[in-house]
Amino acid sequence: MSYKLNSFSRGAVCATLLASALTVLMPAVSFAQTTLNVAQRQDPQNLDPIDTFSLSWGSIASNIFEGLVFRGEDLQLQPGLATSWEFLDNETRIRFNLRKGVAFHNGEPFNADAVKYTFDRLLGAEGEKGPQRSNYTSIKEVVVVDAHTVDFLMERPDPVLITKLAGYGAMIVPPKYIEEVGEEAFDLKPVGTGPFEVAEYTPTVGAKLAKSDTYWNGEAKVDAVNIRFISEDATRIAELLSGGVDIALNIPKPSVETIRENERVDLVAVDGPTVVITRFNTETGITQDPRVRRAIALAIDTDAIIESLLGGLASPISSAQGEKSFGNAPDLTPYAYDPEQARALLAEAGIAPGTEITLDFPGNYDTFREVSQVLAAYLDMVGLKLNVRPHENSVYYNDIQPNGKTGELYYFGWGGWTFDFDNTAYLLYHTGERQNAYISDEKLDALLESQRTTYDTDVRRKALQDVARYSYENTLDLPLYNEATLYGVSTRVEGFVPAPDDRARYMNVTVK
Amino acid sequence: MPIFRFVFQRLLQAILVTVAVTLFVSFAIRLTGDPAIMLAGDSSGVTEDDLARIREALGLNQPFLVQYWDFMKTLVTLDFGESFFRGSVRDLIAIALPSTLLLALASMAVSIMISLPLGIHSALHKGGISDQIIRVLSLVGLSFPNFWLGIMLVLLFSITFPILPASGFATGQSLILPATTIGIILTATNVRLVRTQMLETLSAQYVMVARAKGLSEASVIYKHALRNAAISIITFLGLQFGNLIGGLVIIELVFNWPGMGTLSIEAISQRDYPLLQATVSILAIMIVAVNLAVDLVYGLIDPRIRVA
Repeated sequence: MSYKLNSFSRGAVCATLLASALTVLMPAVSFAQTTLNVAQRQDPQNLDPIDTFSLSWGSIASNIFEGLVFRGEDLQLQPGLATSWEFLDNETRIRFNLRKGVAFHNGEPFNADAVKYTFDRLLGAEGEKGPQRSNYTSIKEVVVVDAHTVDFLMERPDPVLITKLAGYGAMIVPPKYIEEVGEEAFDLKPVGTGPFEVAEYTPTVGAKLAKSDTYWNGEAKVDAVNIRFISEDATRIAELLSGGVDIALNIPKPSVETIRENERVDLVAVDGPTVVITRFNTETGITQDPRVRRAIALAIDTDAIIESLLGGLASPISSAQGEKSFGNAPDLTPYAYDPEQARALLAEAGIAPGTEITLDFPGNYDTFREVSQVLAAYLDMVGLKLNVRPHENSVYYNDIQPNGKTGELYYFGWGGWTFDFDNTAYLLYHTGERQNAYISDEKLDALLESQRTTYDTDVRRKALQDVARYSYENTLDLPLYNEATLYGVSTRVEGFVPAPDDRARYMNVTVK
Repeated sequence: MPIFRFVFQRLLQAILVTVAVTLFVSFAIRLTGDPAIMLAGDSSGVTEDDLARIREALGLNQPFLVQYWDFMKTLVTLDFGESFFRGSVRDLIAIALPSTLLLALASMAVSIMISLPLGIHSALHKGGISDQIIRVLSLVGLSFPNFWLGIMLVLLFSITFPILPASGFATGQSLILPATTIGIILTATNVRLVRTQMLETLSAQYVMVARAKGLSEASVIYKHALRNAAISIITFLGLQFGNLIGGLVIIELVFNWPGMGTLSIEAISQRDYPLLQATVSILAIMIVAVNLAVDLVYGLIDPRIRVA
């Protein structure tokens, strides 16, 4: 859409009115094309891989772009645009052998130059404007060996690198196309090597994808995917129930029953990356005392919260990670519900019944708002009066949490798409991390740092499990639940595999 | 030419209002949060250096007045600059503004089509059964929350009887439900307004004179009474239209209508300064423009108020 701005509003209105009038008169003409209609909550606002960290990007762009490494719905790492890789020179150099005969949607060949360009761009000036660069700074440089071989020279060891090459900032982009059309045009109409190409992206409205005829790894089963951005939950569900869309992402908990009861729609759930915990202010107030923290943890019946409030669509957790997470310690069991013991611990710590504590959280998260009420009820039963204090989202993350202005308890919801506990644990426990205002512990710092310098998965797993255990024993956090990722899928749809990380792929989906 | 002077004064006023509003909004939003953090997300490993780099790239390390001046330059050239997150502001507004205007106009049209005949009828049959029914219904309409009515209409016409799309901006049919929802809500007020104004003019002496002269009832009602009542009705509708342009947020959300309200709300929650400044300025200018248009329309309807 480009209107001359002087006559812009009038012309645009006339055009829209005319277009509307025409479409009212002519019912949709049907082509012999199959289109999959999808609704998701958010507009990623920018399709360039290095400009976003949003899950809403993942559910579109995973169909457009590919990385050197591929990770599908089963979370296993497989060869992607690289057919194999090996660690050289004492693990300071990683050599990737690239797939031959692959082309971008515009016909440009995929080769070593494209890989080098992708990472030069990510780590250079263009990457600095976006949020992805900081995830990849362990790479010093990408060197072209020959047309189908590249070496990654490492600045420092990065055990999560191979996983990170399967997503987000590491998606391979076409050098010639970007140079030709410019960065701004690439944001809105990018070109990748994936099974679908971008036909049209309209900000705030939606993205239309068309099947790529030149895809190297099979052929998409539908001709087009029409992804609409519908931010209002009730509206997205209404579209699903009325048949306006075939697949709806980001199903909110209150709509679960409606979808389960409807015969034409299925609810599909899979354990997601996001965990919800409440953290303790371990520096001031009564929660400095580990006995008080443990008492609070024992006072809450998380199973009951999951069953009655979340419709069973979440799993209990013992640390700030789900079962699928690398670093999860299976020997830890979630804190058992034991109000007797909780009262005893509080008495031992000298806490008078009726003592007031405060829970801070971002108020636009409806489910947690309800959870917070339940927490207050449980704590009331052991003699603690919980005040809940919701904040505007941005205020919470910009000020309350990083600057340590919380009450005794505060909300934390997080899940890295990498499903590697390093991501969450570092941010929660390492000294000086932005969102970690209270915890500074040499033991945790040492454990966290040790697992970042080795590629040995056994050593890393043990270190991360030790972090989880240490946090559990000292009750640094109160783990609540691991959220399921929910999809509403019409019974017309076949072949849809729910992605735990929201990176929905539509290549093998058919619509009857 | 007094009319030009009048328009000129109003333009000056528009500029002052825009400057005042944008200055206030630009200043206030900068107190509440840092877009660099929104942009970086909570990704682990973001350091203060990274944030500083993002701030520099976005021009946020410039003094406030420099940033404001840069914005005013983009406003004057109608270029509107670059959003922090989503490309050209002008492209975003090119979608949002027409769709908001379309929805606002359609809703007003629905409302006028219902409230004018009903209001006149009600005034002519004051105290009668139909008048009572219309008044009670308008009271019911006033008490509806608009989002609730919207959701009910969706349930009825998209899910129970799937004849209209539940949301979106794809076809002309998508306009029907949102425009009807707001139209009904507006009608509740407008029908009362038309009724009151008509009652007032119908009891005026010139109407009595017109009737005494033996003019037809239609001529009395439409030419004399309605035309005189129109002044205050138009004033009110003008203000209502101004409110609508900025006040459709909830209906836009319910029907997933890509309008200015949604765009402003998103800009606020992301601390997208350029986008917010642009949407707010445009809304301010539009409201001033609507008021100006209302003043000018007076003159057309009522020769006594030709602007002096």
